[in-house]
Amino acid sequence: MSQKQIRWAIGVLGTLGIAAVIVLHWMVFFWVPTESTMGIVQRIFYIHVPAWWIAFLGFGLVALCSAMYLWIGDERLDRAAVAGAAAGMVFTTIGLLTGPLWGRVAWGTWWEWEPRLTSALILWFIYLGYFLVRRSTENPEQGKRFAAVVGVIGVLDIPLIHVSVTWLRSLHPQAVILNPDGLA
Amino acid sequence: MRTYIGLVWAIARKDLLVEFRTWERLTSMGAFVVLIGLLFNFSIDRSVVQPQDIAAALIWMTIIFVGMLGMGRTFQLEEQDSALTGILQSPIPLDALYLGKVLGNFVLLSVMVVLVFVVFTAFFNLRLAGNPYTLFGVVALGVLGFVSLNTLFSAMATRSSMGESLLPVLVFPFLVPVVVYGTTATDRLFAGRPFAEVVGNLRMLGAFAILFTVAGAVLFRFVVEE
Repeated sequence: MSQKQIRWAIGVLGTLGIAAVIVLHWMVFFWVPTESTMGIVQRIFYIHVPAWWIAFLGFGLVALCSAMYLWIGDERLDRAAVAGAAAGMVFTTIGLLTGPLWGRVAWGTWWEWEPRLTSALILWFIYLGYFLVRRSTENPEQGKRFAAVVGVIGVLDIPLIHVSVTWLRSLHPQAVILNPDGLA
Repeated sequence: MRTYIGLVWAIARKDLLVEFRTWERLTSMGAFVVLIGLLFNFSIDRSVVQPQDIAAALIWMTIIFVGMLGMGRTFQLEEQDSALTGILQSPIPLDALYLGKVLGNFVLLSVMVVLVFVVFTAFFNLRLAGNPYTLFGVVALGVLGFVSLNTLFSAMATRSSMGESLLPVLVFPFLVPVVVYGTTATDRLFAGRPFAEVVGNLRMLGAFAILFTVAGAVLFRFVVEE
């Protein structure tokens, strides 16, 4: 694609994206009915849940493209991995900010060591490491390779992290705030 | 196969020989272990919490901190003297170089782990009610997983402009499984719980150790190649 075509594509996709975000927010606030048990706070789901989908999609892209980049060494794969990491970092941040807002009302606390929340926080730090290591070398090629290695190690470790924090959580007392049985 | 093991051992032996001649890392790591035990002692209000109740957590945190202190310098000697370029030009396979470094670090950190247990047992009056061999297995597998990851990332940190300050940011998020399974198993063994209650932890620590030793050996060349 020529530079002109790329600029045109960015313009069209950007405009569509902004329009979709505006329509989404209008629908969240004015169109969807209020959920019966949780009330108005449930509306945050429409931002929060897709944010996580994109965050995980982003990380999947980072892992896949990083492994392929190390294997083939094509620059485009590195650029795709960085794009995935950038989107992943932004949407992980959105997920981590909107989660506690909901949790404060639903669970009665800003932070719970809930496995998904815990794994997400760790994922955020793995993304941070990805970007830090990328920028920390004098030779940019070396930085790209370092970042790709972090991406591959990340995808190997994330399932283990999730299993471990889920297992640890099962040892702790469960939240009773929204539990229908309440305190025994 | 025999030559390969010989190469791995040659690298580990070289590192250990340098270390046991200079005592550079061992001295600072050993002093760190005793001093952190001392500080932990002063940081616990015994009218609120007993050190025995949180001993496993303190032990694992100390192992990780002392590991970070020592492993961060894994490649420093080579980097300073540009010796890494020499090693990279030698016919040794890079995975053997990595495994040799892991083995050297594993032995060094194991020495420190023994010291950690001696110091903490003495300072906090700990009594192991469970099977010592199982505890040995838990700690050995946990330390191997930790060392494998740390060795890979310390090669990155040494070659980056951020140096050792980069290492904790890179390593800590990945260490969650080691901390979770290592600490709970150690806790249970100190409390005298049966083997059946820690066998799952052993499996997970073993999986972590094998996975990251193999992954490190495969990925190491991307970290050291120019």
